[in-house]
Amino acid sequence: MNEDIRAMQALMERHGYVADPAVATAVYLAKEMRKPLLVEGEAGVGKTEIAKVLARALATELIRLQCYEGLDTNTALYEWNYQRQLLRLRIAEQEGRDPAQLEDLIFGREYLLERPLLKAITRREGPPVLLIDEIDRADDGFEAFLLEVLSDFQVTIPELGTIRAEHVPIVVLTSNRSREIGDALRRRCLYLYMEHPDLEKELRILRLKVPDLDEQLAHTIARFVQRLRQRDLRKLPGVAETIDWAKALVRLHQERLDAQIVSATLGCLLKDEHDVRKTGEEAVAELLAYVAAGE
Amino acid sequence: MSGAHGMVAQLAKFAGALRSHGIRIGLGDEVDAGLALARVDLIDRDEVHRALLIAFKVPRDAWATFDRLFDEYWAGDIAPEPPVAPQAAFRDHRGPAQWQWDGQRVRITIADGQQEVGDDEQPGYSAEPLLRQKPFDELSTAELSAMERLVARLALRLATRRRRRLVPTRGRGVVDLRRSFREALGTEGELLWLARRTQALEEPRLVLLYDTSGSMDAYTRVLLTFALALRRVIKRVEIFTFNTALTRVTRVVAPARMAQTLERLAAAVPDWSGGTRIGSCLAQFVEGYSSAMVNRHTTVVIVSDGLDLGDTTLLTRSMEALRSRAGRIVWLNPLMGDARYRPTAAGMSAALPYVDHFAPAHNLESLEGLLRVVK
Repeated sequence: MNEDIRAMQALMERHGYVADPAVATAVYLAKEMRKPLLVEGEAGVGKTEIAKVLARALATELIRLQCYEGLDTNTALYEWNYQRQLLRLRIAEQEGRDPAQLEDLIFGREYLLERPLLKAITRREGPPVLLIDEIDRADDGFEAFLLEVLSDFQVTIPELGTIRAEHVPIVVLTSNRSREIGDALRRRCLYLYMEHPDLEKELRILRLKVPDLDEQLAHTIARFVQRLRQRDLRKLPGVAETIDWAKALVRLHQERLDAQIVSATLGCLLKDEHDVRKTGEEAVAELLAYVAAGE
Repeated sequence: MSGAHGMVAQLAKFAGALRSHGIRIGLGDEVDAGLALARVDLIDRDEVHRALLIAFKVPRDAWATFDRLFDEYWAGDIAPEPPVAPQAAFRDHRGPAQWQWDGQRVRITIADGQQEVGDDEQPGYSAEPLLRQKPFDELSTAELSAMERLVARLALRLATRRRRRLVPTRGRGVVDLRRSFREALGTEGELLWLARRTQALEEPRLVLLYDTSGSMDAYTRVLLTFALALRRVIKRVEIFTFNTALTRVTRVVAPARMAQTLERLAAAVPDWSGGTRIGSCLAQFVEGYSSAMVNRHTTVVIVSDGLDLGDTTLLTRSMEALRSRAGRIVWLNPLMGDARYRPTAAGMSAALPYVDHFAPAHNLESLEGLLRVVK
C-alpha cells in the first residue's frame, strides 16, 4: 500500500472515522488529483461523515450545501442583500446623489450574500472542504449548473464580474441514488461506492465510537446487526443506528442481549414501521440464536 | 521495466475490454485512471484494483464484470483475450418462439413450425375516426405512422408536471426581487414593476415496463410504437421488456426505423413470446433499477394483460414497493378492450390495489381515454 494512502487512513481514524482502504484511496486520490469525489451508497453507510472528518483532519473549514428539490442558484451561489441595497438607495436619494453612481455603489461586495458555493470559492485561508450533500435530490438543471462551477471554479456575477477561486476546494458530493446522477457530472468526479461495513469494520467503528462498550457485547451487537441487514427490510440499519443502539445498551447497563431488551430497543435500529412489525418475536429469536451460535 | 508507455498501453487495452462489456468508459476516465495509477503502489494489486474502480467510475452493478476483467487483464504477463462482440451470442438463444419482421407485421413462428399472427388484410389508410377505434392488431403500416403522431401527443401529456424550481414569467408567480431590483435601477431605484417567477414545466420522467409474453403478441407492434413515441418526446424514459425475465431495452429501442428496432429487440430479448412471470420480473426491476429510476415524479407504465404464471405474493410485494416510490402507476391492459373481460386473473387482481389508473390499451381511443384520466 502506498505510504501516503496509509497515512490518510491513519489520519482519518485519528479523527474518529474508520476508513477502509477503498475510502482512504478515494479521498487521497481526490485530494491529490484535485478532482471532486462522488460518494454513492445507501443511507447510513457514512458518506457525509467522510467530508466532515476530512475537514477536521485537514484542519480546514467545512462548507456544506444541502441539496433539495427546487434548489436554485440564489440559494447555492449568491444573493444580493436587497434590504440593505434599498436602504442605501434611500439614503443616497436624500443626499441628492447622482443616479449614475448608484449602480456601482449598491452592487459592491458588501451587499453580496455569499452562499455555500461562492463561499467555498472565495475562502482565502487555504482550500476548504465543500460538501454537496444528497445531490440526487436537486433537479438536473442544478446539476448542470454545478458541473460548470466544478469544472472552472469560477463564478460570473453580472454586476461584479468574474470571481476566481482563491484555492480549489476539496469537493465531496454524496448521493443516495434516489435518481441516477448525470453522466457528465459523474465523469467530472472520482467515484466511490460504499456498502454497509463488514463485521470487522463495524467492530472497529463500535470500539472507536463507543469506547465504554464491553468487548464481548460489541461482538454480539455487530454480529446481530450484520445478520439483521441480511433480512428483507425496507430500510437497512446504518452505522449510525448501530452506534445509537450500542450507546443505548450501555446507558441501560446491559451486559448481554436477550429477547426482551432487543424488542424494547429495536427502535434504535429500525426506523420503518413496516420493518419493526416484520421483526417480531420469532425473528428476534432467530437473530439471537445466530449470534449465540457464533460465540 | 517497460515503463510508463507499457502501462498506458495496458490501461487502454483494459479500458477497451470494459467498454466492450458494456461498462461506459470515456477518454477522460482513462486519463483519470492513468493519473491515479501514478499515485498508488503498483505492486499492491488490491490497491491498483481500488484505484481503477474509483478512477473509472464503475457503478455498483458492474463490479462483477469489472472484477472478472481485472483478473484477466491485470494478472501480470498473461496476454489478454480480444473481447467478443456480445450481440452475436444472443441471437441463438431466443427461446421456443421465433419471430421476425417482414416489413409490415411481426410474424411469430412457434418452434413446431405453425405460423400465427393476424389476417392478411390489405395495407391502407383509415381516416382518423376509424383509426381511433381500430384494434391495434389490425393496423397497416400507413395507419401506424398516422397513429404515431397521435400517440406522441398522448405520451407527452401523460408525464408532464410542474417543477419546484422557479423560472421568470410574465404572468402570475412569486416576486423575483433580483430582477425587480435590477429593473428599478433604470428608474432611480423606484420599484415601478415587479418581476415574477413561477414553477417550470418538469421534463417528464417515465418508466415503461412492457410485457412481451405470448398472450400479448397481437399488440406488440403498436405498443412498441407507443414506446418509440415516448422515446421521441421524452428524454428521460426507460424501457424494459419482461416475460420470464426482465430486460432493459432503453438503448435498443432507439427512435430510428421501426424495422431496425424490432430486429435489434429480437436479438436482445430472450424468450420472446414465452410465458410471463410478472411478479419475479417486477421484483427484479424493484431491486435492480427502481432506486435510481423511480422517484415520486416518475410515472410507471406497465403494459400487460396480467396473466401471470408465477407467484402472486411476489407481485404484491413488488407492487407495494413500487407504490411507495413512484409518483403514479398506470397499468395498460389490452384485454380490457374485450367487453367480456374482467380483471380477475390472479396476477391482475393482486396488482390492482396499487394502480392509480387501470385502462384498456387495445386501440388509440382507449389510450386517449387514459389521457383524460391522467389530466
